[in-house]
Amino acid sequence: MAQLSVQGIDTAYDRIDVLHGVSLDVEPGRITCILGSNGSGKTTLIRSILGLTPPHAGDIVFEGASLVGQPTHRIVGRGIACIPEGRRIFPKMTVAENLAVGAYQLSDEAEVARRAAQVYELFPRLKERRDQLAGTMSGGEQAMVSVGRGLMAKPKMLIIDEPSLGLSPLYVKENFRIIRRINDMGITVLLVEQNVRQTLAIAHYGYVLSQGRMVAHGAAADLAADAEVRAAYFG
Amino acid sequence: MSLDIFSQYLINCLMLGMIYAMVAVGFTLFFGVLDIIQFSHGDVLMVGGFTALVTYAGAQALGVANPWLQLALMVLIATALTAGLGVLVARYLVLPLKNAPPLNTLLITLMMGMVLREGVRLAYPNGSNPQPFPRLLPGGVWSVGGFEARIDSTILLLVGLALITGLHLLITRSKLGLAIRAVAQDGETARIMGINFNWIVLLTFGIGSGMAALGGVMNGLYYTEINFGVGLLLGVIGFAAAILGGLGNLYGAILGGFLFAALQTVGAVVLPMLSQHIPSSYKDVFAFAVVIALIAWRPTGLIAEKSTERA
Repeated sequence: MAQLSVQGIDTAYDRIDVLHGVSLDVEPGRITCILGSNGSGKTTLIRSILGLTPPHAGDIVFEGASLVGQPTHRIVGRGIACIPEGRRIFPKMTVAENLAVGAYQLSDEAEVARRAAQVYELFPRLKERRDQLAGTMSGGEQAMVSVGRGLMAKPKMLIIDEPSLGLSPLYVKENFRIIRRINDMGITVLLVEQNVRQTLAIAHYGYVLSQGRMVAHGAAADLAADAEVRAAYFG
Repeated sequence: MSLDIFSQYLINCLMLGMIYAMVAVGFTLFFGVLDIIQFSHGDVLMVGGFTALVTYAGAQALGVANPWLQLALMVLIATALTAGLGVLVARYLVLPLKNAPPLNTLLITLMMGMVLREGVRLAYPNGSNPQPFPRLLPGGVWSVGGFEARIDSTILLLVGLALITGLHLLITRSKLGLAIRAVAQDGETARIMGINFNWIVLLTFGIGSGMAALGGVMNGLYYTEINFGVGLLLGVIGFAAAILGGLGNLYGAILGGFLFAALQTVGAVVLPMLSQHIPSSYKDVFAFAVVIALIAWRPTGLIAEKSTERA
C-alpha cells in the first residue's frame, strides 16, 4: 500500500486552478520523483501536500489518514519533512541553530543531540562550522545545512524540492549521492527535479507533470526510455 | 554642573531609556514575526498601567496592606491581563488581516488604540484627569561621594535591566526564542519545520504586550501618576526608537530607546544653556528633530541589516 496517496486534487491560487485532478502514489522506502518544467505545478503539488496551499477538491492520504485541512505543523508532525526549494536556510542563525529548528517538534534533548551527530557525520564540514551564521556560507554549504535540517526530524518521508537548482555541477552530483544515502537510511523520498537524467537514474518510480496535469508515470527505467515523456518534458 | 545635579539627569535619562526600550522591543518583535506595526501598542501599555491601579485599589479594599505584596499583585495581574489583551489584538485584529494590505493593519490598530484610550478615559472615574499612582517603593536616597540617587529609581532601573536581560535570554537561548526567530526570518519555512506559526505569533504578542505593561507600571511608579493619554507619546517614542534601531532588531530597539532618552535629556539640559530663549520643554522638539535627521541619514536604522540577510 502506498505510504502517501494523492487522489485527484485540484489546487488553486486566487481561485484559478493550478492543479487539475492530480493523483500520485508514493511507495514506502522508495525514491519517487516528480518531473516537470517550470510552471508545471510541481511546487504547488508540494505545497498542497504540506498544507501550505490546501487543495479544494480530492484527498491526500498519508499512512491511512487524510492530511487535507490539517495545519502544516500537524502534517509535519505525522513524519513528513521537506527540504524546500531554494534551500531557505535561516540566514541569521548559526548552523547548529538551523539544525535545532529542524528538530523543533522533538522534546527529547538527547535524541536531538544524537541526530545532530548523525548529520555532522554525513556533513563533516557543518561540524567545523556549527557556530557560523548560515547566511554567510557558500551556496553548497547552505545546501548541506538545508539537507541536514530536513534530516533532523528523522522523517518517515522526505520531500526534496529542486535540490540541484543553482548549484555547481560538482555539488549537483554530490547532492544526488546524498539523496541516495538518505534513502538507504530507510527514509522514503519524494524528489522534485528538473534534472531528468540524473533524477531518473536514482529514482524507482516517476511522475511527469505538465500544465497542472499528470501526463505520464511509470518505473524510472521505463520513463527514461520513453520518447513521449521526453518530448512532453523538454517540449 | 554639580555632581548631584548630574546624577539626577543621568538617572532620569536611564529611567526614560529603560521605559522606551521596553515599549520599543514590542514594536520590533511584532514587526519581526508579522511585518506589521501594532499602533495600539502604546495604549496597551496605558491599559497595563491602569490595570495595576485598579489592582491596587482592589488590594486596598481587601485589606492587603503590605506594599511589596500590593506591588507583586499589581505587576502580576497587570502583566497577565495586558499580555492577554495583546494576544486578543493579535488573534482577532492582526492575524485575520495577514493577507490584506499592511495599511489595513496599521489603520485598524490605530483605531484600536483610540478605542482603548477613550474607553479608559470615559470608564475610569474622573479618567480625563491624571490619576495618582501609589508610591510603593522605599523612598530615600543613597549616595557615593557626590553621586546620589533615589532608592526607588535605582530599584526600578535594576528591575528594568533584569527584564531586558531576561527577554534577551528568552530570545537567544530558549526553544520558544528559536521559534520566534525562525518565524521572524522566514515564516513559511518555519511552518515547514513544524512550528505552529499562529501560536508563536500569539505568544510573541503576549510577551511584547506583557513587557509594555511592565513599562507602564514602571512609568507610573516613577512619575507617581498616570493618565489616559500616556500611551500616545510613549507609543510614538517607542515606535521611533524601534525604527531608529532598525525594525525587527531587538538590540537596535533597546539602543534606540536609550538614545531617544539621551536626546531628550540633552535637549532639556544643553539647549537652555545655549540660549535662554529655549526652555527645557523644547526637549521633545529637539529629540524628534534629531530622530528625523537620523532616519533620513540611515533609512534602515542605525544597526542596518545587510540586504542579503533579508533575501
